[in-house]
Amino acid sequence: MSQSPMPQSKIRCLLGMLGTDVHSKGIRTLAQLLRDRGVEVIYLGEHNTARGMINATIAEDADLVGLSFSTATYLHYTRDLMEQMRAAGLGDVPVMLGGLIHADDEPALREMGVRGIFGPGSTMDQIVAFLQSATGKTLPSGISASGA
Amino acid sequence: MSVDSQVDTQDADLQLIDALARGELRIAARLITRIESGDSSVASILSKLHARGGNTTVLGVTGPPGAGKSTLVDRLLQQFRHRGQRVAVLAVDPSSPFSGGAILGDRIRMNQHSADEGVFIRSMAARGRLGGLAVAAGDALQVLDAMGWDLIVVETVGVGQSEIDILRHAHTVVIVQTPASGDAVQSVKAGLLEVGDIFVVNKADTAGADRMQSNLREATAFRADPHDPACWLPPVLKTQATYGSGIDAVIEAIDAHTHHRLTHPARWAQRLRAQMRVLLLEQLIDLQRRRTVEDPAHQQRFERALDEVLARRCDPHTAARKLLDASE
Ligand SMILES: Nc1nc2c(ncn2[C@@H]2O[C@H](COP(=O)(O)OP(=O)(O)OP(=O)(O)O)[C@@H](O)[C@H]2O)c(=O)[nH]1
Ligand SMILES: [Mg+2]
Repeated sequence: MSQSPMPQSKIRCLLGMLGTDVHSKGIRTLAQLLRDRGVEVIYLGEHNTARGMINATIAEDADLVGLSFSTATYLHYTRDLMEQMRAAGLGDVPVMLGGLIHADDEPALREMGVRGIFGPGSTMDQIVAFLQSATGKTLPSGISASGA
Repeated sequence: MSVDSQVDTQDADLQLIDALARGELRIAARLITRIESGDSSVASILSKLHARGGNTTVLGVTGPPGAGKSTLVDRLLQQFRHRGQRVAVLAVDPSSPFSGGAILGDRIRMNQHSADEGVFIRSMAARGRLGGLAVAAGDALQVLDAMGWDLIVVETVGVGQSEIDILRHAHTVVIVQTPASGDAVQSVKAGLLEVGDIFVVNKADTAGADRMQSNLREATAFRADPHDPACWLPPVLKTQATYGSGIDAVIEAIDAHTHHRLTHPARWAQRLRAQMRVLLLEQLIDLQRRRTVEDPAHQQRFERALDEVLARRCDPHTAARKLLDASE
């Protein structure tokens, strides 16, 4: 067998959409690309509430939370989630945003505590680098640093 | 290990067990992560959990990919919640054999319970560990057992042996098929016909459901024992999980099976013994494999034995015996 006998600490990443946003194609693609890089993606799909996301973060012991937005409502939803996460004692879990995020809004999002912002044009390598630095865990090397 | 640190471990373990019993979700979730990653420091706590464990009924749900297992579990959760039961779900999915990553998507189908404090859902990936999946899932089930849920549901994809092995932790096993599964005897993975307590033909809204149902009835008929009128005969039911139809009958069958188990304790003790026997054997094999193959101290010896076998100076049978003796 080629697999390593050593115990592995995988990166567990929650991915989902909040509110009424239904353009899930981007986030589904991201889920597949992350899986191919060795990430365990807990895929929540669309129509999640902040409460549901928080319960999932706790139960799944997620290392980080990724949200995707395709509508302009992201400031509102993100602020609400960040506040509720802090109140639930999850302030230390990194949150990243992807999708149609305007560069103008980045400072406000950072102010709320969002750690990673990946708007249009972001590359997989950037996202993967963020995942590793934000969680302090390493992904298996040799899997398609070039691919995707 | 010094006496002091042993005492510390004891204390820490007992505190952890208290926290689990109080239902502290984060602590439970982190312990399951340690189990998943193969952290050997969980051994002492698992041993304590085992000593007190075995209290919660475990319902196993398995079947081919996409059969509707999670949708069915979601519907069952609705009913269990309706009668006030608090339920934990362990959803096991395969990892990608190429990257080791996974997409764990069972939660989406159970989203309506996402804000319900009476439901706890944890996903687990297979991580491609040889034989390790059933062991890790069994350990995770011990953690859930210690939390005092009224019921535990474990969903696994019925494709490999280790998934089938997980069902050895279940008191009641539900096998989900669909009309598209084809010939019943061939589609129901070898072994599942023997371990299923309830068979469900889901997607009964699609063509061929009746045929699948009667095929499954035939295929499970061998379970009837004319000398034993009290033996459990697995019912074969039809459901449309997305529309919620047929669910009541599944709940009734689960209740009936539980009742059968409780009213036939000798029979259940026999089954439990058979299940535990396999689990213990698996642990033994796992341990032995780690000792003789994966432990660096023994790897060299293993490689040398392999050389001998390849050169035909020693046969595999004798070589294995020698390795076993040397690892004592
Ligand atoms: N037509 C029909 N579709 C159904 C039924 N039950 C589930 N489905 C659909 O089947 C698909 C798979 O359902 P899941 O519940 O995710 O199936 P699963 O067996 O848990 O899938 P995996 O965990 O990925 O193996 C979804 O699109 C469901 O909506 C049903 O009774 N009829
Ligand atoms: Mg499923």
